[in-house]
Amino acid sequence: MTPLQTALAVLLAPLASAVLIALFLRTKGTLASFVSVAAATLIAAGGLWLAFGGARFNASLEWFRIGSFSIELGIKFDDLAALMLSIVGVVGLCVHVFSLGYMHDDTAKARFFGGLSIFMFSMIGIVMADNLFMMFIFWELVGFSSYFLINHWYHKQSAADASKKAFIVNRVGDVGFVLGIILCYWRNGTVNLNELGASHDLVYSRIIPLLLFCGAVGKSAQLPLQVWLPDAMEGPTPVSALIHAATMVAAGIYMLCRIEVLMVPPAAMVIAWVGALTAFYSALCAVTQRDIKKVLAYSTLSQLGYMVAAFGLGSVGASMFHLTTHAFFKALLFLGSGSVIIGCHHEQDIFRMGGLRSRMPVTFWTFTVAVAAISGLPFLAGFFSKDAILVLAYGNNKAVFAVLALTAILTAFYMLRLWKIVFLGKARSDSAGHAHESGISITAPLVLLAVLSAVGGYTVIYHGAFDAVFSHIPEAEGSTHWVVLLTSLVVLGVGAGTSLAFYSTDGNDALESRHPSVFGFLCTLKASFDGAYDYYVEKVQQRLAMALNFIDLVVLSGVIVRGLAGAVEMFGFGVRALHTGRINHYVYWFLGGVVILWAFAAGVL
Amino acid sequence: MTPSLEAYVMLSAALFVIGFLGVLVRKNTLVIYMCLELMLVAATLALVAFSRFNGTEDGDVFVFFILTVAAAEVAVGLAIIVALFRVRQTVQVDQLDSLKH
Amino acid sequence: MEHFAFTCLSVFSLACAIGVVLSKNAINGAMCLLLCLAGIAGLFVQLHAYLLAFVLVLVYAGAVVALFLFIVMLLDMQGGRAWKFRGFNAVAGMIAAVLLVTGLNLLAVRGRLGAGPPLGHSAGSSLKLYSYQLFTTYLLPVQVMGFLLLISMLGVIVLSRRVTPKEDDK
Repeated sequence: MTPLQTALAVLLAPLASAVLIALFLRTKGTLASFVSVAAATLIAAGGLWLAFGGARFNASLEWFRIGSFSIELGIKFDDLAALMLSIVGVVGLCVHVFSLGYMHDDTAKARFFGGLSIFMFSMIGIVMADNLFMMFIFWELVGFSSYFLINHWYHKQSAADASKKAFIVNRVGDVGFVLGIILCYWRNGTVNLNELGASHDLVYSRIIPLLLFCGAVGKSAQLPLQVWLPDAMEGPTPVSALIHAATMVAAGIYMLCRIEVLMVPPAAMVIAWVGALTAFYSALCAVTQRDIKKVLAYSTLSQLGYMVAAFGLGSVGASMFHLTTHAFFKALLFLGSGSVIIGCHHEQDIFRMGGLRSRMPVTFWTFTVAVAAISGLPFLAGFFSKDAILVLAYGNNKAVFAVLALTAILTAFYMLRLWKIVFLGKARSDSAGHAHESGISITAPLVLLAVLSAVGGYTVIYHGAFDAVFSHIPEAEGSTHWVVLLTSLVVLGVGAGTSLAFYSTDGNDALESRHPSVFGFLCTLKASFDGAYDYYVEKVQQRLAMALNFIDLVVLSGVIVRGLAGAVEMFGFGVRALHTGRINHYVYWFLGGVVILWAFAAGVL
Repeated sequence: MTPSLEAYVMLSAALFVIGFLGVLVRKNTLVIYMCLELMLVAATLALVAFSRFNGTEDGDVFVFFILTVAAAEVAVGLAIIVALFRVRQTVQVDQLDSLKH
Repeated sequence: MEHFAFTCLSVFSLACAIGVVLSKNAINGAMCLLLCLAGIAGLFVQLHAYLLAFVLVLVYAGAVVALFLFIVMLLDMQGGRAWKFRGFNAVAGMIAAVLLVTGLNLLAVRGRLGAGPPLGHSAGSSLKLYSYQLFTTYLLPVQVMGFLLLISMLGVIVLSRRVTPKEDDK
């Protein structure tokens, strides 16, 4: 099979799976799950074969043309795409297998797996897209898949609300994205990534990259559009793992890396600061959460901020490296939490867990590896990627470096808090007391991801397949090297140590009980964005909507539509009055007509 | 000295106008019908005058046709009026307005 | 001399025509129509259309007006209401009259109706000439007239059937 055929198979397999499930397998959940997992396996195998087989190519097909404007569908398969495809494939496969166990007793399994397949199709479309129009199409599809999957338990009002919120907030970002695409097409004449990369006379514009970044703000949940991601945890855990941790939210980062050629320093500065502030803000919010998945959601926001800041500071390599390692350990964290949730019989409050170290050993050890990776324990994957970003920040912008370093302390702090309260101590509730490890379909992906989280930082394992990307990872030399190394070790020690010492396993949140004012401040920090949006919607948008509604009902429907109808009716009344039924009157009309004809004939008229 | 053609035509026009006025202002259906016949006769007068002054007989022959048609029309029209009278018991036009809106 | 005859006959015809329009009684109106037709017949004679004058009197005055009189008396009206000279109707009537007269005279004046040379003995006054035309040039209209008369006869028969009242008819 040629690489192009393999790429097409990888792209279309999940679509075929979704169509098959939608048409024929709606009630046969188990069969649907196997079809979906088969598609995921094909994707993973195909993607890895393409990536490590060295196939790099471009292909394109013109879809339609209007005059001189045409939209093409094409594949740009370079190192960046290969890397992303591998991540999506491997993590996707792990999540699919995990779902076999997690959703085993769910009543709507077929719908779930159909949604997963549609998501895989859309995500691979984004990965392979070679022009911004095509990317936008699949961008929207991914948004839809996210809506569909968050809404899986749609009879829960909170899930329905959360899915709507996710979609709408995404759409807000997409407005900027579309404007950016249009502006780019207008100024540069093309949105094809190959042509943009090869062009030598790109228009220097600060607006275009910032508008395109709006799309990333929405999709990757940066400030101020980060409000949807914590609520998106209403979806099932595999969905959170796949979409809202590893792949979809990383699509924003991927898109940014794709349009790197359009970046200009002022825009990059803005991007870097947005990323840094997002990271810091979400780390602060994560400290107070009780729900295990919400902690991980805020953690995701924080790490995404890291990636965006890295990109803003100028390095695609650092950003993608962190994306890779983050995909592994965040997916592992989510799947581990899923294992914990299902082991404790759908309990999600961490203060009602505890003592799971001895009861669920596989989960415990894999979760530990992930926590260590995200906190930056040396020699694990997260350490290398975070270090690269800190080196980059230290070299370019000390202020951003300081913010990121503080965020790293907080990261270690809340992750260790989570780890300690969930796994250590004694069981704090009945369900935790009766927890047990789940089957192989749940534990096997955990182990695989743990291995990857551990060794994923050593770029040598990739056999040079992604050199175009990873060769740009900043390496420190000299004094920078020692400063950054020292910083990261101190950060880890301070954060982890404080957390382990401060929090106890007695079932209360230590921060809440000992420093209620700090706790309260952090809670308001979290709620402030939602509050602002609520206020805006209630006061501004609703009033505008009411005004428009009034105009529509009264002016458009009433005055114009019914008014016109009334006018015609009046005219009809008038004409009706002419029908008297009396011959005399009709003869008068006849005379009138004859007179007009005479006048016409005589030249008077 | 025969009167000029114009005189005949104007006489015919005058008779026609009088007949038309009768149609307009009278309320009795039968009298309206009689005024219609008056209009027809005026037309025949004009025709005969023209044929005389042009020297052909076409106008005269056409008068035959007009007379025939008038006779047929009168027969049928009066039959209709009689049938209408049977149903409505009136021939006053202002009471025969069932085609009113 | 001819002028005198013409003037008398025309005045007579006009007067009778106005009588038809203004008469109170329908029977009076029919009588006036009869006299008007007589006047017109006289005018035909003056135009040397003797046969036509005769036919006019025979068919029109003899048959048509007689039929009118029959029907008027059959319908047994209680003295028709006269047309009163008041109201909207009158004004409209006046306006209509003015319009019509103006219109017709405009056409008469603008049209070039010169007093053509009258022929001494008019060519078309013999039955032979008429019948020749009727059977050659106007053969089709003659046949159509035949059909017309047939159909009108049928129509009259159908229309004058006595309608049997149905039970549910009001």
